[in-house]
Amino acid sequence: MSASASSKISVRGLRKSFGSNEVLKGLDVEIAEGEVVCVIGPSGSGKSTFLRCLNKLDDITAGTVVVDGFDLTDKTVNLNEVRQHIGMVFQHFNLFPHMSVLQNIMLAPVELKRGSKADARATALTLLDRVGLSDKADARPAQLSGGQKQRVAIARSLAVNPDIMLFDEATSALDPEMVGEVLQVIRDLAAEGMTMVVVTHEMGFAREVADRVIFMADGLVVEEGTPAELFGNPQHQRTQDFLSKVL
Amino acid sequence: MALAGGFVGVTAAAASSPSTEVSGETYIIGTDTTFAPFEYREDGELTGIDMDLVRDIAASQGFTVEIQSLGFDAALQALQSNQVDGVIAGMSITDERELIFDFSDPYFDSGVQMAVAEANTEITAYADLAGETVVAKRGSEGETFANSIKDEYGFTVKALADSATMYDDVKAGNSVAVFDDYPVLAYGINQNNGLKSVTEKEQGSSYGFAVNKGQNPELLAAFNAGLAELEASGAYQDILDTYLDAPAASSDTSFFGLLSDSAPALMKGLGLTLLATALSILIALVLGVLFGFFTVSESRILRGIATTYVSIFRGTPLLVQAFFFYFGLPQLTGQPIDVLAAGVLTLSLNAGAYMTEIVRGGIQSVDAGQTEAGRSLGLGYVTTMRRVVLPQAVKIMTPSFINQFVMTLKDTSLLAVIGFAELTYQGQQIYAANFRTGETLLIVAAIYFIVINLLTMLSNKLDKRFNK
Repeated sequence: MSASASSKISVRGLRKSFGSNEVLKGLDVEIAEGEVVCVIGPSGSGKSTFLRCLNKLDDITAGTVVVDGFDLTDKTVNLNEVRQHIGMVFQHFNLFPHMSVLQNIMLAPVELKRGSKADARATALTLLDRVGLSDKADARPAQLSGGQKQRVAIARSLAVNPDIMLFDEATSALDPEMVGEVLQVIRDLAAEGMTMVVVTHEMGFAREVADRVIFMADGLVVEEGTPAELFGNPQHQRTQDFLSKVL
Repeated sequence: MALAGGFVGVTAAAASSPSTEVSGETYIIGTDTTFAPFEYREDGELTGIDMDLVRDIAASQGFTVEIQSLGFDAALQALQSNQVDGVIAGMSITDERELIFDFSDPYFDSGVQMAVAEANTEITAYADLAGETVVAKRGSEGETFANSIKDEYGFTVKALADSATMYDDVKAGNSVAVFDDYPVLAYGINQNNGLKSVTEKEQGSSYGFAVNKGQNPELLAAFNAGLAELEASGAYQDILDTYLDAPAASSDTSFFGLLSDSAPALMKGLGLTLLATALSILIALVLGVLFGFFTVSESRILRGIATTYVSIFRGTPLLVQAFFFYFGLPQLTGQPIDVLAAGVLTLSLNAGAYMTEIVRGGIQSVDAGQTEAGRSLGLGYVTTMRRVVLPQAVKIMTPSFINQFVMTLKDTSLLAVIGFAELTYQGQQIYAANFRTGETLLIVAAIYFIVINLLTMLSNKLDKRFNK
């Protein structure tokens, strides 16, 4: 796929090493505005590291990553500003345990001086309503179920009004009966046209929601295509082996 | 009075007029804490033969003295590092000491004598000491003498820092005999310290007032002149008679008598203990937070600085640090240092190292995901630290902070060795004079116990209130 002016995310020759261990071995990925891309692959294939390079939670060893027009490898780029364009949801939620649900969501808008505290509060309540947790505004994270925590985490990311959302195995740590409620929130976001990169083990969800599916193995993109192409007619042996195990 | 025969007649009897060189000056004089009847405390005031002598000489020669009661070893070290101008501490004039100090004319003829516990009937001569342990005061004539005959009689010599501790060691049976200067021993026996002397006194050396080699010659001259005047006027003999003819007896021998007699001095000591603790812990907190942030910083240089600091102060004993800051540093820099300043410097740098580790541990124990969540929202490093990491870290650190606070409070007792007049030091002063070591230490320990537990309860209450 060639780079185009309309790319929301443009990754070229991305390499990432932890010490002598090379985890990403040269990735080229273009993601268009409004596109929902699911990244699948065996564990240890570099999916999460790839995602964490997109907002530079992990340093980039080589190659370029351009997100929303910002070149992340450019040292003069203000990362704090770039990250306000990119929401991220973690496998283990990472809610702030010393704050109420509402305070979790309001923290970034207030600290980043996005309007008044009252505005931030109103926005937070709207977001809570959107993820179906209006009644939990004053609860502490410890009082919530896993599914509820993850929905709060999504609301917290949305509070800075990002253009792009990154989901890092957002349902992997959940009890099975709670996966559905979180996926529904992500599904709604997709329907609203949010650009999303979703690292997931939920093949059914990927098939249903993704515009495109990327299969990664050993730090490389092995194959990519529409869900119909990738799930229906995988071209590579590695893809076929992986799918035969998980489907 | 048998002791009177021991006093020297001063040869240079020519009385001089007050020296103009020392007139109006103030000199700091170091002394021992516990060398009754030469120096000891009565109702909190330093008194004794040495004290009266040096004060009367100062008055006659027109200068002022400020007495610092440091302990014998500490006083000599303070003199070498010019922390004090002179030392009068029942100190024998020896060849070794004359290499580093200048001595006055001798003012007292001493001699070592051996004493054993009152109930002991087995030790009556040096020959009975074979295979036993005896005790002597570190750096004293008694120790030198005991060491000179230990091979001949086959005993072991243990050195302790003050007379009261030595006598208790003998009474407790840890040592069978003590070698001490005979007037001190005689005074203690008169005070019913539970010992008896069983041998004649050895021919001993003379006591002198000392200044550092080549320093304060005018002070030394004034001391000699003043001593000669006191000799001539008979005031010298009066001082000796005051202390040796009628030894002071304890006023109230009940436990509650001791409690009420010692309360003013102990409360004064407690005040200094709390002052040193509060100052040290505040400075340590600042150091701990500063260096704690260094340890989690991305800069290798800052991490290196913090690691070096922590390893130096955790890797050396607090006592050595206290000696270094009080005695060593002035020798290196030539600047004298106040004992409170040296004490607080020691404790705060020491506690600061532990605080650094507490802060580092607290920050690192907050899950990395918390920082990642904060940073992924676009919050900067400082904001993420302040709003996300630190509130959680402080909660984790608080019990360790309280613990360090208590440790530092207890560590102030070590400052007694550099003569800082805190609670433990005051206790030592009291039992040095009255020989009621057990009861006095019980009172001191009870004060620490009560204060520490009250402060711990208060801290825990605050912790619960602010870190719910």
